[in-house]
Amino acid sequence: MERNNILSQINKIFIDTLDDEGVVIEETTTATDVEEWDSLTHIMLVVAIEKHFKIRFSSKEIQSWNNVGEMINSVSAKIVD
Amino acid sequence: MKTTLTYIIEQIQIKNPLHSKRIQKNLKTFNQEYFDRAANFFLKYEVLLKNDNKSFDYAIDCYLQMLADFNFESVQFLKTGEYTSKSFEEVKERVYDNPDVMEYYMHGLLMSQFLLKQHYDILLWFNRIIGKNNKNIENYLEVGGGHGLYISEAIKIIGSNANYDLVDISKSSIEIAEKMIADDKVKMILSDVFEYFPAKKYDFITMGEVLEHVKEPIKLLQKLHALLSNNGKLIITTPTNAPAIDHIYLFKNADDIREVISEAGFNIEEELCIYSEDVSPEIAERFKISMMYAGVLVKK
Repeated sequence: MERNNILSQINKIFIDTLDDEGVVIEETTTATDVEEWDSLTHIMLVVAIEKHFKIRFSSKEIQSWNNVGEMINSVSAKIVD
Repeated sequence: MKTTLTYIIEQIQIKNPLHSKRIQKNLKTFNQEYFDRAANFFLKYEVLLKNDNKSFDYAIDCYLQMLADFNFESVQFLKTGEYTSKSFEEVKERVYDNPDVMEYYMHGLLMSQFLLKQHYDILLWFNRIIGKNNKNIENYLEVGGGHGLYISEAIKIIGSNANYDLVDISKSSIEIAEKMIADDKVKMILSDVFEYFPAKKYDFITMGEVLEHVKEPIKLLQKLHALLSNNGKLIITTPTNAPAIDHIYLFKNADDIREVISEAGFNIEEELCIYSEDVSPEIAERFKISMMYAGVLVKK
């Protein structure tokens, strides 16, 4: 699956999970850029992303992402087209 | 000169910006008392670290590893509604008998006392309760004393005339408690509390965050009932919806906890519920948001 496609799907997950239609994420987006993205909503985002893409992240992966791009790397490595 | 707390916060900002947001939010709510207490605590902790040839960088990494475990467990918890560990034997193998895990877990818990708002709020509450009940205490017991912070506070408030015992099942915990307390007033007892049969009764017992680690919390409270003098008081703290690597018993709300307390033969003299997010109890239960419960219990 193309990265832009994954990004678009993850953006929608952010909107739904954070309940904010105005959220727009890019590969360089970090938690600092999105006010509602905190340690609690991060867990909710991970659960939603796992459910949507039918994948499972390891503890190391969940902790390792510095930005959305790194999150996409993990998703991309796990999904089967 | 930069304080230890400032350094810790700066490092967490670099290593975990997400968690740093939470810490920054909490710092805005703290008064000078917090900063004074934190300074004293980290001073003591620094001695422990140096004696083990370790630094605060190590302690910070331990804390962040503990958080990483909690985040992973939280994801599983949100999906299944259950804690991943099901038995004490499983947790013993996974955590308590695993020196590598215990090492970072204990240091992570120590750091969390002042980095997690819930833990600090409970510490303040504990100080207030001990202050109200510091008379006529001859024998004081802490069960699962872990890092030794609470019994240290109790000694400061109650004074040196009482006898202080600390029972813990974990050798690693006892070792850390010994170093943090650094006071020979406390008798350290390495034992499962179910196998502890002292000749005396205790006027005050503290058991912080242990109930959620056992399969049968009622039996544990019944054991404490037997150890407590008739007019004695028991302080417990335990969380709801808190998926840690060594939690077994899931309390979903405060009523679950109150039911267990009552079944074990106690009345609640005073209680406090601190939610990890600013939400109502109903929303907390619905979205499985953690709450820390603290209670002062007396025999029925």
